[in-house]
Amino acid sequence: MPTLTVEELEVRFPGLDTPALAIPRLGIAAGARIGLTGPSGSGKTTLLNLITGLERAGTGRILWDGTDIARLSEGRRDRWRAANVGLVMQDFHLFDGLSARDNVLLPLRLARFALPAGAGEEADRLLGRVGIERRGQKVETLSRGQKQRVAVARALIARPGILIADEPTASLDAEAGAVVAALLTELAMEAGATLIVASHDPRLLERLDRVVRLEAGRIRPAEG
Amino acid sequence: MFRLVAADLRRNALGALAIVLIVAFAAALGVAVTLQERALRLGSARAAAAFPVIVGAAGSETQLILSAVFLQPAPLGLVPGRVLAALAADPRVAWAAPVGFGDFVEDYPIVGTTQALVDGLGGLREGQGFARLDQAVVGAHVQLRTGDRFHPLHGQASSGGHMHGETTYEVVGRLAPTGTPWDRAVLVPIEAVWRTHGMEALEEAAEGAHGHAGETPGEDGHAGQQPAGDEPAGEELAGDGHADPAQQHAGPATDPHARIDAARVTAAGAPGVPAIVVKPRSIADAYKLRQEWRTDTTLALFPAEVLTRLYATLGDARRVLSAVAMGAQALVAAAILLVILLHVGQRRRQIGALRAFGAPRLAVFAVVWMEGFALLGLGLLSGIGLGYGAALAIAARLQAQSGVALPVLFTADDLAPLLLLAGATAALAAVPALLAYRQSPAAALRG
Repeated sequence: MPTLTVEELEVRFPGLDTPALAIPRLGIAAGARIGLTGPSGSGKTTLLNLITGLERAGTGRILWDGTDIARLSEGRRDRWRAANVGLVMQDFHLFDGLSARDNVLLPLRLARFALPAGAGEEADRLLGRVGIERRGQKVETLSRGQKQRVAVARALIARPGILIADEPTASLDAEAGAVVAALLTELAMEAGATLIVASHDPRLLERLDRVVRLEAGRIRPAEG
Repeated sequence: MFRLVAADLRRNALGALAIVLIVAFAAALGVAVTLQERALRLGSARAAAAFPVIVGAAGSETQLILSAVFLQPAPLGLVPGRVLAALAADPRVAWAAPVGFGDFVEDYPIVGTTQALVDGLGGLREGQGFARLDQAVVGAHVQLRTGDRFHPLHGQASSGGHMHGETTYEVVGRLAPTGTPWDRAVLVPIEAVWRTHGMEALEEAAEGAHGHAGETPGEDGHAGQQPAGDEPAGEELAGDGHADPAQQHAGPATDPHARIDAARVTAAGAPGVPAIVVKPRSIADAYKLRQEWRTDTTLALFPAEVLTRLYATLGDARRVLSAVAMGAQALVAAAILLVILLHVGQRRRQIGALRAFGAPRLAVFAVVWMEGFALLGLGLLSGIGLGYGAALAIAARLQAQSGVALPVLFTADDLAPLLLLAGATAALAAVPALLAYRQSPAAALRG
């Protein structure tokens, strides 16, 4: 259960005087469930990309349990992310033509040549847990809600200590969104993972321990 | 990883098929040119293999080869009978056989010769050799059966020749297949050819030489009646011996059922022939014979030598065709590269997602590269098959027309260019893979 410590993080884009993101300090305890909210363009996705190592931080430190991923090379960040981070995105990013089960197993298949022992059972267990019955069904034939549930199962297949979701319910109807919101928080708890969710969805945010509000790249104290 | 590649290709099955087909056609073009040129070269060389040395009257070397080896009808000057007599008596000669042509049955050329050439061509597959002047041996692909009778036709039926109605041959044997134009030839005793034309000339003389109206003297008679050099006119095949029965030993026999008299063919006073096939006893003998019979009036040559010159020309043509094929391939390669690049552009999100979900960059590279290589490689392989098939089809058509067996085959020499091509394909597939490799996952996900 990793702890996140962000220090002196600053992101600037060329031609802009003020930094797009400036976070002097942000600490997230291991196993915490944190919401990230704020108007669009406030830097939510940029922050998520930085703390997952998808983008490299120019200045500052991003420490996950003492590992500063801002200092890792691109290849090592990829490996670190594969081992520690599960990602759920607004647009699912499932791979058409593959079954639900194959989609869940894909991160493991790509990261190594042979599946680790028990991976198939774990995929079946996760799909059962998110309520996908027909595991051999091609993902392009699933509903949007089902797709996001498959994506949640995929995020957890490598047993990551960190679960990151970027607007996971924004492209779903209210009912499907509620199911996904419940699954995310429950599964993070079950897995003991630190959960960080960027979202505008109040029903999702109210399930979380704490909500951090970003405005113009800066953290504002949360209301209430 | 393979499942992902397979799923991707399945989803874009039509586009993938189009790319495979385009690559296949481009590759087939190059393969067919190479194979066909080789087939022509090997085929003609094999066809000439049974003809170590050819002796003919002074004239065009190429024409002599085309006529004697490939049986292309053309008027040739005649070699006087004493040349054949001298060659037959030469101890350095294993065998020497005359080749006389000009008549046809249907579209098959009738060739007057002796048993020596029948043996030299590989012998008989069925029946027996000709023993009488009215017997014939047919090539392997001639549509005549043993026992069939036919009249020779002066000139090809398709170009309106006239019938020698007074002469009849009976098919008594069939040659083993040779893979040469001789598979379409009908072999008869040379004396029978002399006799047919000798008798005709006699008739013409009797009828006041009205001859074949409209024919120039050069075309009348067979393979040229023009006197070869120093021979007196009386030595020409027309009419020799007919005026004087006492000279019959040197001229054509008059009885169509007469048995073949080998001595008559090689008698010093025998009529002339357009070409003589000579089989020397040794290579040294071959060079000496060629040297000796290169005179003012006669020509001696190795068919292989003349063919080599022809191949040089053929080789130039092949280089031009190869260049055209390579140009087409380069254009196709460029077009395919463009298509693949566009495709990678469209797949930025997918590639970004692969990275985000923990795929190492190398895995992303491998996925994109495998897709490209699978398409191009498949196209290449089917192109080789397609080119081979096309070369086979062309060879079969040419063989039906000319009788020259054209061996379409790959050799060890093809391995290097094929490996080179495979390497180029791998490199080409690496271009989009490299782009995917360098793509920032965050930027790709945003896009």
